[in-house]
Amino acid sequence: MTTTVANAADTIAHRIAATIDPLFALIDTWRDELEARLAEVAEPNAADLDPVIAALVRPALDDSSGLITGAGFVAAPGFLPDAPWHLAWWLSGTNTFRANADGGVRRLDAESDPDAEQFRDYTTLEWWRTPARTGTRHLTGPYVDYLCTDDYTVTITTGVMVDGEMAGVVGTDAYVARIEQELLPVLRESGHPCTLVNASGRIVASTDSRHATGALLRLDGLASVLAPLHEHEGQAAAAVLPGGQFVVPCGDTTLALVFETA
Amino acid sequence: MPQATSRSDATRAVVFSPLEGAGRAELVEQRLTDAIVAGVLRDGERLPSESDLAKSLGVAVVTAREALVALRDKGLVLTRRGRDGGSFVTHDRDASMRMIDARVRALSRIELRDLSLHYAAIAGMAAEVAADRASDDDLASLVEVDARADLATPGGARRAVGRFQLEIAAVSQSPRLVHEELRLQAESGPLLWLCLREQAYRDRSRQARVEVIESIRGVDPARARRATTEHIASATEWLIDEKARLESPEQGRQPAPGAEDRKG
Repeated sequence: MTTTVANAADTIAHRIAATIDPLFALIDTWRDELEARLAEVAEPNAADLDPVIAALVRPALDDSSGLITGAGFVAAPGFLPDAPWHLAWWLSGTNTFRANADGGVRRLDAESDPDAEQFRDYTTLEWWRTPARTGTRHLTGPYVDYLCTDDYTVTITTGVMVDGEMAGVVGTDAYVARIEQELLPVLRESGHPCTLVNASGRIVASTDSRHATGALLRLDGLASVLAPLHEHEGQAAAAVLPGGQFVVPCGDTTLALVFETA
Repeated sequence: MPQATSRSDATRAVVFSPLEGAGRAELVEQRLTDAIVAGVLRDGERLPSESDLAKSLGVAVVTAREALVALRDKGLVLTRRGRDGGSFVTHDRDASMRMIDARVRALSRIELRDLSLHYAAIAGMAAEVAADRASDDDLASLVEVDARADLATPGGARRAVGRFQLEIAAVSQSPRLVHEELRLQAESGPLLWLCLREQAYRDRSRQARVEVIESIRGVDPARARRATTEHIASATEWLIDEKARLESPEQGRQPAPGAEDRKG
């Protein structure tokens, strides 16, 4: 690889990180505010907490030009005595899932009774499991969110800590189609064929029409280069694959840019 | 990430998802009948209120009410007044069997085969694409869905089939295939998987899952599709045989003119 190509890849990777980072930064501010609020409360309960969450996430959901289609807080089981399993999650007007006639922000209606058949143990889902395991923010997807917003989605979550325990996660959803729309022009700028993948090697967007969003990019050596991103084990380094492709992590978004050098 | 989890039950969730098309009260009635008869909705369970039902199905309240009255007339639902009132499922096994038998008889072989073909087109394609697109995490989820399958009862086996097929559709990364899978599970599932009444077919459903999982592990899309469509085809053959059996004069139940002899 030449230095020029490496520099071009770096530049694009930075710009992709700069597009996704505001989402991470946003949920970090929600986490900070919520942790501060919860630290002052002796006995947190859903009735008091829900309006606080609503006020936190509302501005982001009202911004119809933004990437965000859903946002909120999901409590750790048992954290809120009045609501053992609790999702305080709102959908934006741009979210097409069961949109009401006025097209406004609305709350996600989730089953919170663990004895009900539709109930789902959200602690088994990736957007909960990974932040709980790694203690860091996590990008889940692209995936078909058929139990929540019914569309092709990316979910970003981070843990909310109270007294050293995870009280829940705050997070946000974005449609993959909107993300692709934002990122594809950035990918095209380099003039090189390049593909953005998540930590599992799943394609988020590509300049190459043969690389469909949602498919796995199967390249020799890619999985091992992406492994640190997948496991959230420190910072992954840029690497060159045996096939000559250049892999650059996009900041700490857990996304990586695969840059063809040919 | 695919989201089939231990307790989520998509085959149930779909019962209350929006409906399309005309004759809506009949559609509501048919969908709830199928769900009750198939044991997706259980005996004694409270149904959503008229207004909640109307909202989740995307129909008028009066339509939901009409459907509930029809279900009451069929003896599938009981309405109680008062504070703890509401509509409750009354699942009578014999009544359910008679009702589903009537449905099998009412549909022609052509309709049954067409329904099966449509479902195989969706499920087969989903399996083919899933085999190419499954990550290691996806594979682990599929293995888990299979491991949690309850093969001891028809209801358990049917829920396992539904969850697995939905997970496969999710792994294909296609919102449309997921949507179509859910829709067809509601529309065709209760009939198509009637064969799961028999233990041999419940075991067969497990073998099919294992075969699909192995195909996905080996990134073999053609094999994943074949395992899926062959499973659906065998369920359809059972159903056609069952129809013939129901129509045979020895059954003494409304023998249809020119009914075939019982097969297999």
